[in-house]
Amino acid sequence: MQIRPILIALRRHRLATLLIAVEIALACAVLCNACFLIANRLAFVQIDSGVDGASLATIQLTGYDVSKADDLNARVLTALHGIAGVKSVSVINSIPFGMRRGTAGIFTDAAAQHFGGVVDFYVGGPGSFQALGLQMASGRAPQSEDYQQPVVNFVPASAPVQITRALAEHLWPGTNPIGKQFWMGTSQFRVVGVLNALVRPDPSGPADQREWSVFVPAQPGPYLAGSYLLRAEPGDLPHVMRDALATIAKTIPDVVIDRADSHTLDTLRRSYFEKDRTMMGMLAGVIIALLLVTALGIVGLTSFWVTQRRKQIGIRRALGATRGDILRYFQTENFLIVTFGIVLGMTLAYGINLFLMTRYELPHLPWLYLPVGAIVLWLLGQLAVLGPALRAAQVPPVVATRSV
Amino acid sequence: MLKMTHLSKIYRTEVVETYALRDFSVNVEEGEFVAVMGPSGSGKTTFLTIAGLLESFDGGEYRLDGEDVSKLNDNARSKIRNEKIGFVFQSFNLIPDLNVFDNVDVPLRYRGFKARERAQRIHDALETVGLVSRMKHLPAQLSGGQQQRVAIARALAGSPRLLLADEPTGNLDSLMARQVLDLIESINDHGTTVVMVTHDPELARRAHRSVHVLDGQVMDLQAVSESSKDETPARA
Amino acid sequence: MFSYYMNLALRSLKHNPVLTVLMVLAIAVGIGASMTTLTVMHLLSGDPLPGKSTHLFYAQVHSDPDKHRDPLDMLDYRSAVDLWSAHRADRQTLIVDSAIKVRAPDKNLPPLMLQMLSTTTDFFPMFSVPFQYGRSWSADDDARHARVAVISSDLNDRLFNGADSVGQTLRLGDSDVRIVGVLAPWRPSPLFYDVRGGRFAAGDTASFYTAPQDVFTPFNTGLEINDGNFQQFTCWRVPETPGHLENSACVWIGLWVQLDNNAKVAAYRQFLADYAAQQKSLGRFEYTDTRLLSLMQWLDFNHVVPSDVRLQTWLAFAFLIICLFNTISLLLAKFLRRAGEIGVRRALGASRSAVFAQCLVEAGLIGLLGGIGGWLLTLIGLWLIRRQPIAYADLVHLDTGMFVLTFVLAIAASLLAGVLPALRASRVMPALQLKTL
Repeated sequence: MQIRPILIALRRHRLATLLIAVEIALACAVLCNACFLIANRLAFVQIDSGVDGASLATIQLTGYDVSKADDLNARVLTALHGIAGVKSVSVINSIPFGMRRGTAGIFTDAAAQHFGGVVDFYVGGPGSFQALGLQMASGRAPQSEDYQQPVVNFVPASAPVQITRALAEHLWPGTNPIGKQFWMGTSQFRVVGVLNALVRPDPSGPADQREWSVFVPAQPGPYLAGSYLLRAEPGDLPHVMRDALATIAKTIPDVVIDRADSHTLDTLRRSYFEKDRTMMGMLAGVIIALLLVTALGIVGLTSFWVTQRRKQIGIRRALGATRGDILRYFQTENFLIVTFGIVLGMTLAYGINLFLMTRYELPHLPWLYLPVGAIVLWLLGQLAVLGPALRAAQVPPVVATRSV
Repeated sequence: MLKMTHLSKIYRTEVVETYALRDFSVNVEEGEFVAVMGPSGSGKTTFLTIAGLLESFDGGEYRLDGEDVSKLNDNARSKIRNEKIGFVFQSFNLIPDLNVFDNVDVPLRYRGFKARERAQRIHDALETVGLVSRMKHLPAQLSGGQQQRVAIARALAGSPRLLLADEPTGNLDSLMARQVLDLIESINDHGTTVVMVTHDPELARRAHRSVHVLDGQVMDLQAVSESSKDETPARA
Repeated sequence: MFSYYMNLALRSLKHNPVLTVLMVLAIAVGIGASMTTLTVMHLLSGDPLPGKSTHLFYAQVHSDPDKHRDPLDMLDYRSAVDLWSAHRADRQTLIVDSAIKVRAPDKNLPPLMLQMLSTTTDFFPMFSVPFQYGRSWSADDDARHARVAVISSDLNDRLFNGADSVGQTLRLGDSDVRIVGVLAPWRPSPLFYDVRGGRFAAGDTASFYTAPQDVFTPFNTGLEINDGNFQQFTCWRVPETPGHLENSACVWIGLWVQLDNNAKVAAYRQFLADYAAQQKSLGRFEYTDTRLLSLMQWLDFNHVVPSDVRLQTWLAFAFLIICLFNTISLLLAKFLRRAGEIGVRRALGASRSAVFAQCLVEAGLIGLLGGIGGWLLTLIGLWLIRRQPIAYADLVHLDTGMFVLTFVLAIAASLLAGVLPALRASRVMPALQLKTL
């Protein structure tokens, strides 16, 4: 295909060409960044909680007297054990995607000189570790004697703990964390096991800190009460949950059930990510609308050009150009304009990404997005131009002989 | 009415300069009917566009109705076109989306007339060309001759002092051409100055006198216009 | 002339309905997206107390002796009480909120867990809190730790079916309090007096837009009846008894002051600085940093508008710009397709400005139609947002200002898009030799 005559024709329509190219450039820039935002959210939404969410549910109780917490724990555990389908009931302070009750800064030395970062403590009573279904990477799981320590504030004074691989790698990079110690206030913790994964209750912080979690075995008591973990077969979970809430409302009427937070873990997870899914939906909607608008713009302008050049097309046809030649002329023209737009758009996409990085703590736009965005726009352009170009190809040679 | 002295018009491209008009002088008196003749590319259409204030010129002087028009801005030129000049084009140039009534209405709108006066003028103009009954038709529903008569009505509606016609019969068969020419002649009889560009000597003979243009210059016309010379002063 | 141009524009739009629909749709979608996000932005970033907010300030000192950083977002008990009882501002109020079990003793309703704000009597006039029944407690009630409370209209509806409940008894935890006032519906956006810690929220600040607390009690009354259930903002030493923070190394109380002129603001700043210096000399403070931000500054400092909302606004406007470019090129095509007609009009006496005006009227008409579409799409967009499980969902509505702005924006955008094509159209040479029309 001869490109020179097309370029000359485009130069005669500088303004329109430039407008379409700028529109494509903007579309390209927004497209790349919006896709990137979606990919980031998607990775977040699909985060591995590390626990066996499908089999778990939680019941959250408030409005009880701290001095009667032991009594409450005993009554709740007894009441829930009696429900058909329940495999285990245990006490735990926090749940992934649920309430956050153990967020604190830690130090890797007793003198509190080396700050280790802000971590989340999951403080659980007997049975909670097994119920969560956590996977060990190395070391050992808590044993029954580990659960003897009472909680003094929100953690025991000292405890053997399991930490996630991500936290271990952050605190003691490249070394075996088993046997290492860390401190929170006056409480002292010794690492005895490493977990494959355990997400923070609220993982919305920086991406590399989402798994800075510690599992602390402890004895339920005044400051470890009111928050319970239920385990059942996934199929049984809905009716187990319904029965459990009904039983508690009946047998312990003076306590307040926090119904907003008492759900299956899957439900909690779904509502936790609701806004991210909404955002992804909106981004996807914008992308689709964007592509449609751009395509319509191309259709509109090319149709205009085809109408304007009917006579010229007729003359070309009369002089021996085939339908294919005419079709290819418009296709090549579109390809050139879109390419021009993409080159502009890449620069713009990069600029927008820099802006988003400073404002929304986004990582760098991976370069792969640029060629993919380019291909999408090339395809879009070709698709949009096809209609008007086919109409151009249908212009009969006889048009050349008419005066209009 | 229309006086050009030593007028020149140059078309410039990147490579060459072409004189479309060179040292072009012509004088049309009020009430005259002048035919401008010449072969293709001689500059007769350029003359008409400049005469109609559609284009500017590069040198010389042009007085329209005694007024030097070279210094006028776009608004003033548009106003003169609107009020003093009527155009009749070879290809009619009716606006296809507008019906006959609305086409004739176009210049009156820019004139700022009230609705009642516009309606009256449109009616009168269409009556003159005998097309009152076609008021609601679209141009495409009319024959070529009818379309040209609508175009003439449009040119007449604003009662211009000067009618500029560019090959008004060029796209018409001979019968229709005669009707159109009769119309133009009767307009001239009512006092409107008419300048008509044509390459057809038959048509030119209907004018009071002819101006011959060749290579952008007015030829010596003594011999050609001798026949109509007696008439001209009488009308002036 | 305008009506003539309007008439011509209508004809032109009807003449090519497909192109018209495309352009109107592009503008409608762009405007709908922008106005939806802009409305949310407007609702979330507005001044919660117009006219009054400039006189309200949030006081901060730095009580953490271990780490030198920004003044902490809240005050420790002693600093809070010291600063408040000095009464150096025109009005001042302490605030602390906590969850408490609420029952109406005479009603047979299950107990509720509700948020309680413990504050001082100035709270109500300072923040222009509207009352439906009764009124706030007195300064004397504050001093006597009186067992009184003010409740929200929502709680009054739930417990007393909206009737005047002044004088009724409410059981908070294990204590009985007498209701002295019921608020009229009150929904500040954001819940400005409770805003803090926004810079640690990573942009996830939707929770700043929750509804106000349901129960309000005098400050000390609240501390007494809900002892053991208070949450710290942060601590530099773990408290000995969780939930009891009066003598802990924790910050958990907010202090708002009203200062009616600049001299008073300056004086109060000096007062804070002097207090910090005095506390340092007493050995209680290590650092003397203080801060006094006005209400709007404090909201800004806390980045109250959720980053998702800001991102959506950016995105919507990028989209609107693309839609506008689309409109520019389509208008250009549309106008230049009529080059012949324009040439004739010019020959018949239309000036350049007349052609320009005619084209702009057409662009504006497209904008108006796009505005109608955009308005409908905005209503749909806002309806979708109201269905989201977010704290500010109930706030979202299109007020008159935003309704008008929808059309202003649509018409302005389309006129802007029309300028270039109209300029090009007005440059079409008036001509004799027009082969096509």
